[in-house]
Amino acid sequence: MKRYLMSCVTIIFIAALMLTVSCATKQGTRSQGGSATSGEAEEAGIGEGELTESEISASAFKEVTEREAELAPIFKNIKFGYDSFALKSEAKATLDKVAEALLRKTAIQVMIEGHCDDRGTNEYNLALGQRRANSAKKYLVQLGVSSNRVFTISYGEEKPIDTDQNEEAWANNRRDHFMIR
Amino acid sequence: MKKKLILNLVITVLLIFPCSNAFSKVYIDIRSPSSTRFPIVIPEFKKSEGLTDKNNLAKKMAGVITRDLDFSGFFRILDPKAIDTALLKGVTTNKIKWDVLSIIGAEAIVTGRLSIKSQNRIAVELRLFDALQGKFITGKRYEGKSDDYRQIAHKFSNEIFDRLTGQKGGFSTKIAFEKSIDSNKDIFLTDYDGKNEKRLTLYNSLTLSPAWSPDGRNIAFTSYKEGNPDLYIKEIFTGNTRKISGKQGINITPSWSPDGEKIALTLSLNNGNSEIYILTVKNRELERLTRNWATDVSPSWSPDSKNIAFVSSRSGNPHIYTLDLKTKKIKRLTYKGTYNTAPVWSPDGQKIAYSGLNNGFNIFIVSTDGLLKNQLTHRQGNNEDPSWSPDSNYLAFSSDRTGQKEIYIMRADGTNQKKITSGRGNKSSPAWSPN
Repeated sequence: MKRYLMSCVTIIFIAALMLTVSCATKQGTRSQGGSATSGEAEEAGIGEGELTESEISASAFKEVTEREAELAPIFKNIKFGYDSFALKSEAKATLDKVAEALLRKTAIQVMIEGHCDDRGTNEYNLALGQRRANSAKKYLVQLGVSSNRVFTISYGEEKPIDTDQNEEAWANNRRDHFMIR
Repeated sequence: MKKKLILNLVITVLLIFPCSNAFSKVYIDIRSPSSTRFPIVIPEFKKSEGLTDKNNLAKKMAGVITRDLDFSGFFRILDPKAIDTALLKGVTTNKIKWDVLSIIGAEAIVTGRLSIKSQNRIAVELRLFDALQGKFITGKRYEGKSDDYRQIAHKFSNEIFDRLTGQKGGFSTKIAFEKSIDSNKDIFLTDYDGKNEKRLTLYNSLTLSPAWSPDGRNIAFTSYKEGNPDLYIKEIFTGNTRKISGKQGINITPSWSPDGEKIALTLSLNNGNSEIYILTVKNRELERLTRNWATDVSPSWSPDSKNIAFVSSRSGNPHIYTLDLKTKKIKRLTYKGTYNTAPVWSPDGQKIAYSGLNNGFNIFIVSTDGLLKNQLTHRQGNNEDPSWSPDSNYLAFSSDRTGQKEIYIMRADGTNQKKITSGRGNKSSPAWSPN
């Protein structure tokens, strides 16, 4: 049913575009290639795509509480200042313990998610979140954790944990969050 | 079945009068800032004999044209009720009482005659007259599905705009944007006036930053659909989607080169420091443009292909910079404020729009030499993600002034701000299609 609906939507959509193009073409303003008539279904035909360099998928990582509950008190979120990716002393203290746990439990791999508060621009925050994640990774590697056990991803401001609009909420959202596998 | 459906959709546009375009008069000078709005009247369309107009399309189509011209900011729409319909016996020159039109101050009139061909098929004749001289300017006949009545009306709005201003009308353009539903975001498309919304992606993931290719056939975007924020291109007509950048770290903020062969983007690779790159679409070749400890993000190509505007935090806060692609020289464009981001180069090459923090986020424009700056939105929530209309006369942006993020459009001087989206979910990152 859902699929049927989707293809309906797609057909209507293509049709609407065809309409635009066919009219424009009649007026001689846009040239029309052959592709408009050939496709109707989403993802139709053979598309060439590039593979992601890192074969590690973010979805393979789970919350620490789910995977190794006893480690949860160690893998606490670390917080950042406004528009900053510098590690504060509390953050370093947390990372010291995280490094210790990772050196002890060598089977664990960690995904560091970098997050931002929602006051900035989404795009800029995606870049900032990546730096926050990398700050923590760099610190862990300096403490002897192998870099191929530590992965990073940025979600910018897309996944807030506190949706209030005040200093406390913003501070909670400016964080690195750990996932493990 | 499908084939028939598509065939049915094709509208035939026929010029019903030979166009006498040898020396067309420009009625409205859109470059002149002092020009007053051009008075025009658009009465409800006449109905031909035959099937009844159950959906009131004669009125609705006149309404679409009215709203198009009104939003453009160059027209003063006169109340059609000021004309006694008895004086408008038909839709052609000899059926109109021209002296009455001049009394109400109309300088142009649009007439329409609608016939309902079948349950879902209409034909409409539309004409534009110079009301002062009682002279025919242009006329078109359209035939198509009743469901497409808005598109048909937009086409004639383009025709009116073209004939009266000498510039191409953009009333058939579309706007792509992000909409968040539950914790996912997907790309949607609407007509420029917010009607006719269609979904472009459905990935149960975060899909961000739509960017139209210059030919209007492809949309580039970032999606987390395979885990990492990678860059994809989707062909709108076929639905074909391919990943074009899946480097470690972020693959975000696409901006197409004017020739459509390259995409400027932001990559962080393995050290997390985001830099601007140019990706050649065909062979995936990468050229690195910036090399700085700071965060560099959000490139926007200049329409002459010579420069790229981008955001950098190299001064300590995010500001707007331009980079000369030939000399690689970087110039800082904004100094005021502490947070200026999301630059977009106007299609006419004259200016750059961006969002800056000043009592909340607001939309600004700055001349490309950095000398002239103008704030377009004031004290109405956060206003972000500007995107130019293809004629550089209008901007789309997102605003949370109603409590939910919605897409707005406005004239490039900040007037005529109009919300075009509604319904559930925050909407952001509008991208105005090419013409």
